[in-house]
Amino acid sequence: MSLDDLKLTRRRFLKVTGATLGALSLSHELLDFKHWVRANAEAPVTRIPTFCNGCGNRCGIFAYVKNGRLWKIEGNPEANGNLGVICPKGHGYLHDLYNPSRLRGPLKRTGDRFEPISWEQAYKEIAQKINLILMDSGPQSIFWVNYPQSNNPYALRLMHSLGSPHYFTHGSTCYTARNAGWVTTVGDLPSNDLSNSQYIVIIGRNPAGGIDLAEVKKIVEAKEKGAKLVVVDPRHSETAILADEWLPIKPGTDLAFLLGMINIMIKEELYDRQFVKEKAVGFEQLDDEIVNYPPEWAERVCEIPAKTIVRITREMARVKPRALLHRGYHAAFGSQYLNSFQTARALAIVNSLLGNINREGGIYFPKSAQLGELQPKHPAPELPKIGKSDGTGVPGRYPLGSYGDGIAHAIPELALRGELKAGFVYHNNPLRTNPNPKRVIAGYKKLDLLVVVDTVLSETASIAHYVLPESFYLERDEAVDTKHSGKRAQVSIQQKVVNPMFDTRPGTQIIIELGKHLGVEKYFNFDIDEGNRLRLKPFGITLEELKQKGVLFVGEKWKEGFNKLETPSGKVEIHSSTLEKLGFPPIPRWEDPLVSPDSKNPSSFRLLHGKQAIHTHSMTANQPYLMAISRRYDLIRLWMNKERGRRLGLKDGDWVQVKSIVGEGRIRVKLTEGLHPSCVWLPSGYGIFSKHLKTAFDVGLSYNDFLPTLFDPTVGHAMSSEIIVQVRKTSELRS
Amino acid sequence: MARYGMVIDETKCVGCHACRVACQNQNHLLEKEAYNHLEEREYGTFPNYAREFLPVQCQHCDNPPCVKVCPTGASYKRKDGVVLVDKDKCIGCKYCIAACPYNVRIIKKEGYIEKCRFCIEFVEQGGKPACMTTCMTGVRMFGDLDDPNSEISKFIIKNKLKQFKAELNTKPRIYYKKA
Ligand code: SF4
Ligand code: SF4
Ligand code: SF4
Repeated sequence: MSLDDLKLTRRRFLKVTGATLGALSLSHELLDFKHWVRANAEAPVTRIPTFCNGCGNRCGIFAYVKNGRLWKIEGNPEANGNLGVICPKGHGYLHDLYNPSRLRGPLKRTGDRFEPISWEQAYKEIAQKINLILMDSGPQSIFWVNYPQSNNPYALRLMHSLGSPHYFTHGSTCYTARNAGWVTTVGDLPSNDLSNSQYIVIIGRNPAGGIDLAEVKKIVEAKEKGAKLVVVDPRHSETAILADEWLPIKPGTDLAFLLGMINIMIKEELYDRQFVKEKAVGFEQLDDEIVNYPPEWAERVCEIPAKTIVRITREMARVKPRALLHRGYHAAFGSQYLNSFQTARALAIVNSLLGNINREGGIYFPKSAQLGELQPKHPAPELPKIGKSDGTGVPGRYPLGSYGDGIAHAIPELALRGELKAGFVYHNNPLRTNPNPKRVIAGYKKLDLLVVVDTVLSETASIAHYVLPESFYLERDEAVDTKHSGKRAQVSIQQKVVNPMFDTRPGTQIIIELGKHLGVEKYFNFDIDEGNRLRLKPFGITLEELKQKGVLFVGEKWKEGFNKLETPSGKVEIHSSTLEKLGFPPIPRWEDPLVSPDSKNPSSFRLLHGKQAIHTHSMTANQPYLMAISRRYDLIRLWMNKERGRRLGLKDGDWVQVKSIVGEGRIRVKLTEGLHPSCVWLPSGYGIFSKHLKTAFDVGLSYNDFLPTLFDPTVGHAMSSEIIVQVRKTSELRS
Repeated sequence: MARYGMVIDETKCVGCHACRVACQNQNHLLEKEAYNHLEEREYGTFPNYAREFLPVQCQHCDNPPCVKVCPTGASYKRKDGVVLVDKDKCIGCKYCIAACPYNVRIIKKEGYIEKCRFCIEFVEQGGKPACMTTCMTGVRMFGDLDDPNSEISKFIIKNKLKQFKAELNTKPRIYYKKA
């Protein structure tokens, strides 16, 4: 069956459904699962390569279509990011194509209601409002924030063509401390050569829960070849299930563990002396300071026995350079603690002392494809003359903050101060995924114009002035992507598998059309296909070839070896003069977390959070197939150490009240031996408060409800584990 | 003729449930209908603690209690080792659910009983079970247990694998690798 055949189905369909929000007609066969199953037992099947949008990994998939309806997906074995396998979110999220909560056409707010509006009229009205705001407040008062997608460069182009520097990603609530730590030390964010490693230590990161399919596959492969896996995590994570050893560290003290390791490496001369001599600067200063951090000291701080720290360090040194400390992601040093930036630095330094930088089985700089540009054919707008008002890259504010990512959780503050007046939110839901929702709501509501591009009425979309419905990922062609770097670079593409069911448009098309209406059409005289052909030009690949395969390898294979790094010295900066000049410790020094639970108060806990394999951010909780798992396996609970629970008079499954300085909520507990006693752990992905998301509404809690708005002094990240909560037994289910 | 069987390496399961949803899609199941499930086990006390997940589905027993109790012959055993339910013959009496010691049979919304089918129609076309191909840790193996040279047979022999609740004499065609 070809896409042409599908058009028939579509035409028939559009006749049946009203394109408005209220008119939820489920009569059509595509939405009627049972009817489709009966009709389709023998129907021919088409297989189309594309990629998944169930989370930011964007795995390569084959989508199977039967009689115009999506049937299932399988992993594309060629894709670097998932190597042929698929996670539960990927299988579950595809059903959202037929979810009745989907947006069926553009919406405009009138009072506290939404009314349907045509695309043309919506663009016209948005343009009028933007023009007024441009005149009154200047281009810097307009922003765009998104979760990473392949079309991000077009969104950046849109902001730049309007003259605004304010393009943001979600990075400040996710990974900016990790990135800055690595960049300061080795000049770039590297990857892990897991499959060739003989010794893997993972601190905080949980690829089997916050899913990274390829990483898990490679860890299993390494283990089958005899590698050892050590997981350092206050919680017995899903990755810990695969580990030879689980080290339940006290939350927020990973830096102490690493300093203890460095101490023993230097004291016992376990490091790669030649590498350090030739490829690193500042070893002497490290040598001077590290005497302060013997493993016995580390044990007192982080509660991992000194002899374990010594043993693991020796074991790693024995197999170096085929030994690595995972480069990390969100936990435990992406954006969690006051000391996260220095933790990332220390982690990069331990790897460097192992001499594993750009080595087989160590830390390596992956190959990623350099896409072709729109310019010179479509000239690029000038870079904005004004810097970002969030202070990223500015000495005295957040000098090591990522200018490219910005500090997205500062947007509400900037809006409340009147510095931001109009915003576009794309593939992102800050009202649910940013800390301190009351503050976030106040900030986003203060905007004179809020335009949200989404597929459903998320929390953020619910308060927008205009909602522009994006086609579901299986209904749209998208920009060529370079998402999966690896031992060899890849280009990949997301393409239309079924025709759009409703009056929706692809994200890239929406960006281009916004450009055309906002008076900057000279920068947007291209369409998705032309943009894609230009992107592919450097590789001598046609768009048609890519569409046939879904992913294609490009360029040379990665080769082991140390090249000049992108640091000021061109070497590993154990001692960083950049940091020294900015007044930060140039060598990692111990730094206490910002806050700690009161050890004398039985109700006081640090609140940690993390992912379950079945949910992504706030996006999948409304998916009935995935929520069914949460319920069947009782996964919507707060983890607490059994002994701590006993002291509070709690039994497994009891209701508790959780309270912090900014929020309060009720949830049931899971009492376990698999969690450090000083913390409670909340799975992320729940706590949906948009009434339009019926399956997810009011189920569970989100850690963001309890977090104040914080900015760490180096990069401005959210410090999202620097929060103490009071937990008490409660008898009522609901107050 | 091939006689199918499976290996489940429970030491590798991280409890992600991808196999559940992959199977639901493959077999057109509704959100609460699942042919496989996980049993979680915990050991020890903090900090010496471990947990594991045991993936369970129809064991395609060679001595299947469900088949024996079925009054209409709807539950039956095929020559290739697969146990199936003929939904046209099933009267929904649930005897088989009571007889199965593995808790793997479900009542479909339409009223008949179903369970893991070893993806047999798909396998006959050259496919592999969906629960197996989606798994990031490679928990499952599938193949011909009658062929002593098949990868799966060699693996079972080499690792001296046993079946789940073998003492019940159900003679399952699924073998488990334990820690
Ligand atoms: S990890 Fe899962 S949800 Fe994310 S892109 Fe891959 S298959 Fe989709
Ligand atoms: S997909 Fe694999 S790891 Fe995930 S639950 Fe199933 S068997 Fe376990
Ligand atoms: S073998 Fe097929 S039917 Fe059985 S559990 Fe696996 S996917 Fe489901």
